[in-house]
Amino acid sequence: MTKTISRRDFLKVGGAVASALTIGTILPPQVASAARQAGLLDAQGNGSIPTMCEMCVWRCGVLARVEGGRVVKLDGNPEHPHSRGKLCPRGQSGLMNTYDPDRVLTPLIRVGKRGEGKFREASWEEALDLVAANMLSIKEQYGPEAMIFSSTHNLSQVQFENLLNAYGSPNYGTQRSLCFNAMIVGNLMTYGMEEPGRSYDTLEYIILTGRNLAEAISTSETGDLIHAIDRGAKLVYLDPRFTKTAAKADLWLPIKPGTDLAFHLALLNTIISEDRYDHNFVEQHTVGFDELADSVASYTPEWAAKITEIDAETIRTVARDFAAAAPNALAHNGWRTSNFENSFQTARAIAALNALVGNWGVAMFAAAGEGSSALGAPPQPPYPRISAIRLDGVPWKYPLVPYKLGVFQELRDAIIAGDPYQAHGWFISRQNPVGSLPDRARTLEAFGKMDFIAVVDIFLNDTAWIADVVLPEASYLERYDPMLPVGDKAFLRQPVIEPQGEARSALWIYKQLGERLGLGDFFQYADDEDYIRQQLAPLGASLDEVKEKGYVLLPQEEEEDIYHWNTPSGKVELASDTLRNSGFASCPTWEEPVAPPEGQFYLLTGKVGQHTQFATQNNQLLHKYQDEPRLWMNPKSAEKLGLKDYDLVKVTSEAGSVNVMLQVTQGIRPDCVYMTPGFGHISKGWTTGYGVGASDSVLHISYTDPVSGSQALSQTFVTVEKA
Amino acid sequence: MTSITDPSAIKHRAILFDATRCIDCRACMVACSVENQVPNDVTRIWLAGGEVTGEYPNLQRASIPYHCMHCDDPACASACPVGAYSKHPNGPVLYDPDVCIGCRYCMNACPFDVPHFEWNRGVDEHARIIKCDLCTARVDKGGEPACVATCPTDALLFGDREDLLEYAHQRIKEHPDRYIDHVYGETENGGTSYLIISHVPFEQLGMSTDIPHESVSELSEHIMEFTLPFAFTWGAVLTGITIATHQMHKHGESKSAKETVEAEAKDED
Repeated sequence: MTKTISRRDFLKVGGAVASALTIGTILPPQVASAARQAGLLDAQGNGSIPTMCEMCVWRCGVLARVEGGRVVKLDGNPEHPHSRGKLCPRGQSGLMNTYDPDRVLTPLIRVGKRGEGKFREASWEEALDLVAANMLSIKEQYGPEAMIFSSTHNLSQVQFENLLNAYGSPNYGTQRSLCFNAMIVGNLMTYGMEEPGRSYDTLEYIILTGRNLAEAISTSETGDLIHAIDRGAKLVYLDPRFTKTAAKADLWLPIKPGTDLAFHLALLNTIISEDRYDHNFVEQHTVGFDELADSVASYTPEWAAKITEIDAETIRTVARDFAAAAPNALAHNGWRTSNFENSFQTARAIAALNALVGNWGVAMFAAAGEGSSALGAPPQPPYPRISAIRLDGVPWKYPLVPYKLGVFQELRDAIIAGDPYQAHGWFISRQNPVGSLPDRARTLEAFGKMDFIAVVDIFLNDTAWIADVVLPEASYLERYDPMLPVGDKAFLRQPVIEPQGEARSALWIYKQLGERLGLGDFFQYADDEDYIRQQLAPLGASLDEVKEKGYVLLPQEEEEDIYHWNTPSGKVELASDTLRNSGFASCPTWEEPVAPPEGQFYLLTGKVGQHTQFATQNNQLLHKYQDEPRLWMNPKSAEKLGLKDYDLVKVTSEAGSVNVMLQVTQGIRPDCVYMTPGFGHISKGWTTGYGVGASDSVLHISYTDPVSGSQALSQTFVTVEKA
Repeated sequence: MTSITDPSAIKHRAILFDATRCIDCRACMVACSVENQVPNDVTRIWLAGGEVTGEYPNLQRASIPYHCMHCDDPACASACPVGAYSKHPNGPVLYDPDVCIGCRYCMNACPFDVPHFEWNRGVDEHARIIKCDLCTARVDKGGEPACVATCPTDALLFGDREDLLEYAHQRIKEHPDRYIDHVYGETENGGTSYLIISHVPFEQLGMSTDIPHESVSELSEHIMEFTLPFAFTWGAVLTGITIATHQMHKHGESKSAKETVEAEAKDED
C-alpha cells in the first residue's frame, strides 16, 4: 500500500510545480523579486531565507536554502530560541509537504456524492462566490449561529477568528479540548496564566507525567531535557508505556492509567506531613495552604500505592528527593493532558506541587501568551453582538472553559442532536476534525447534517475529502502569516518560494471571503505584506530589514513583579474560590477513574517523533522513516489471547472497531494496549498516507471533564481478538 | 554545540555518536535524505538496535543511526576492482557511481556491512551502491554534515578525530558509571571516522564486536606480503621433495626389501 517516488520523480514534481506560476484573480507577491530586493537571493535565485516551521505548533526558526527558485533544504535557524539551529524529523521533512504530489493546487468543487472524492477544478472567483453565497444564505435563513467555524492552532488564526466574529457566529471549534484544556484550566485556576514558562538550566530533579519529550518533540525543550540529564539531573517518568523518554529516565514508573492524580496527591501529602515545603514561598505568595493540607491529609503514599500500583516507599522517596532538589525541581504540567475525566484534578495537583516547594522564579516563570502589545494591527471596527448561546456549552454548561478553548466534542454532539438549535454550515481551516475528534462515526454523522462544508487546506485531508468546496492554501514555505512574538523578538514567516498553482495564503483567502460576505471593513489590509507592515509600523521597522533577519526586536517591557499572579487573590491559589463558587472542589481532590471490565484493555494514545497528530502521514519523507503503526500489547496478554507478533487483530470498543497489526512488546503494562494516532485516514486524496494503519478515533468514546471540558482520550476500553 | 573543532581547522573529519543522548527521533535520517537527494526507497543512514530489551518492568532501549564508518584504511576501496572508492585527504571514504561497475565486491569486503546496493533498480537504471559521504560537499563549504547539524539533542558531534577521541575518553573518565569503557571506532578495523560511545553494550546497539582491531585490508596486505617468499620457499621445498622422492624411487626395490627383512627379523626376536 505504501507508495514511493524516486529521486527523479521528486525532482520532476518539484521542478514542474515550482515553475508553474499561474495568474490568479490577484497576483501574489513575487517572492523571488521581493527576496532579491531584501538581498536574500542572488541573481540566479540562490540563497538562504529565514522563516518559521509549521510542521507542529512549536514553530522553530528555519533557514530555507533556495536554489533557482526551489527550496532544497531546511536547516534550523540558530537565532530562533525554539530551534537553536536544530530541526526535528518533521521540521527536516517540511519541504516534502510543499512538494507533495498530492497537493491541492486549484480550488475544487464537489461533483460526486460526499465522500466519493469527486471534484472539479474551479476558479477562485467561482469557489469564493459559492462559499460566500452559502454562508450568506445560512445566515439569512437560520442566523449566523447556524454556521460553525473551526481551525487549529496556527498563526493566521487571528484573522480566522476575525472572520468568525465579524460574521457573528458564537460557534468556534479548536483542537484544544482534545489536547490541553485540563492543563490550561488547571494553570489558570492556580497561577492565573495558561502555561508558566519552564527553565531547565539548573534543574536537578524532573517529574514528567506522560510528557513524552523524546517522541512528542519540542525541539529546544527536548534538547534541554537531554542536556539536563547529561548534567546529572534525575528524571522520574510516569507512563504505562516504556517510551523513548522512559528509556532516558532514572526511574520509570509504569503507573496504572487514570491514577496520576493519586500519585501527585500522595506527593503533596508527604511534602506537607513531613514539613518539606517552602514556608517562605507558601506564606508570602500562596492562598489556601491550610485548606490544601486538610484536603490531602488522607492521601498517604500507602493509600496511593494501592491505586497507582507504585509502592509507597518509591512515592515517598520521590516526594523527598523532589522537595530536596527544589527550587531546582520541576513537576512538568504535561501537554496533551486529555486522558481521563479526572485529568483536570491532576493538572491542579501538579500546579500546587510546584508552588508548594517554591520552584517559582527558578524552574518556572511567568510567560506571556502569543500576543504582543508592541506590534500593530489593522484597524478593527466593533464586532456585531452575538445573541445565540454556544453549542459546545461554554459557558452555560462549562462555566470555567475559556471561549477560545471551547469543548469541541460537545459541539459535535450538539450538531447531531440539533439541540439547543440546528447548525447548517461548517467552515474549516487547517484542521481535520474527521480524523481528530473521538468517535469518527459520530463526527461523520455531524458532517452529514450540514447543508454546506468548506475546507481551507493544502491537501485533501479527511475533512476536505467530504467537503463541498476545497480552497487551496499556500504551504508555509509559500506564504506570509502574522508575526509571532517569542521572548524579546517577533519572528516572521515569509514565503521562500512562489506559491504553486493557484494556492493562496490564508490571509488572502479570509479577506476575499470577508469582502464577499459584506464584511470588508473588518479586513483593512491591502495584501499580506501590507498586513505585516501594519504590524511593524509602531516599531518603525521596515519589512525589508525584517525579511532579511527573519525577526524584529521588541522594545523591552518594564520588568514586572515576578511574584504577582493574575488570579483573583493576586497570589498562587492552592485553594481556589473560583472553583468553589462554580460548584467544583476548591483543592485537588481524588476522583476515582473508571477501569476496564474483565477481558478489556485500556486503549492508550500517544505520539511518535516522526508525525504531528493527523496532519503529516502523507509526507513521503516521514513515511519513509516511521515505524509501522501497530497495536502494542504485552507478551503476557498476547499469550493469554493466543496472539502473536504481526497477527492481524480486531480491536473493538463501544464506539467502533478496527483491524490492525499486532506488536508484541515488553514496553507496555499488561492491562493496556496502545495505538499511534493519526493513521487509518479515509481520504484517498492522500496517496501515501491512505491505507496505512488504523484510526484510534474510530474507537474513542466521547467523555468530557466537567471543569475543563477536556476529552478523556484514555478512558476508552477495548477487546482484542484475531481478525 | 555540534562541532567541537573550528571547521576550518579540521584535519581529519569525524563524527562522535553518544548513545546516551540519542532519542531515536530520526531527524538525522530525514536531513540526510533531503541534503543528498537520496531516493525515497533507499537510505544512507539506517537504524540499528532500538528494540525494547529485558522483561517488564526492567527494560532498556538504545539505538544508533548507522552509516558508513569511514575507515582509515577502507576495505571497500581495497576490494573495488575499478577504483570507485577513494579516501578523501580529510577522512571521508568517497564513492563514485560513474566509475562503479556494480560488482558489489565492496559489500563482501566491508566488515561493517555498510555498502547497500539498489537491488530494486535494474542495471539499465544504473543501479549502484548507496553510501554516506560525510556530506563532503556541505563540509567543504564550511558546514557540518546534515545529520550532525540538525540533531536536536547533540547526540552527534562533528570535529577533528583527535579532538573527538580526547573528548570521548574524557566523557568516559568523568562518568565511569554511565559509559562502557570503550570508544568504538578508535581501533576497530584499524580506526574509523565514525566514533561511538554508549551506556549499553555495543552488541545491543546492533554493532558487531568481532571486528579485528587491525584493518581487514591491512591484514590481507600482510598476508599478501608473504605471497612471493611463500611461493619461492614452498616451491623450493616441493622441488626438493620431488627430487628426493625421485632418487629414492631409483633404489626403491632393494632398499625396501632390506628393510622388510630387518623388520621380520625384529619380530622374531
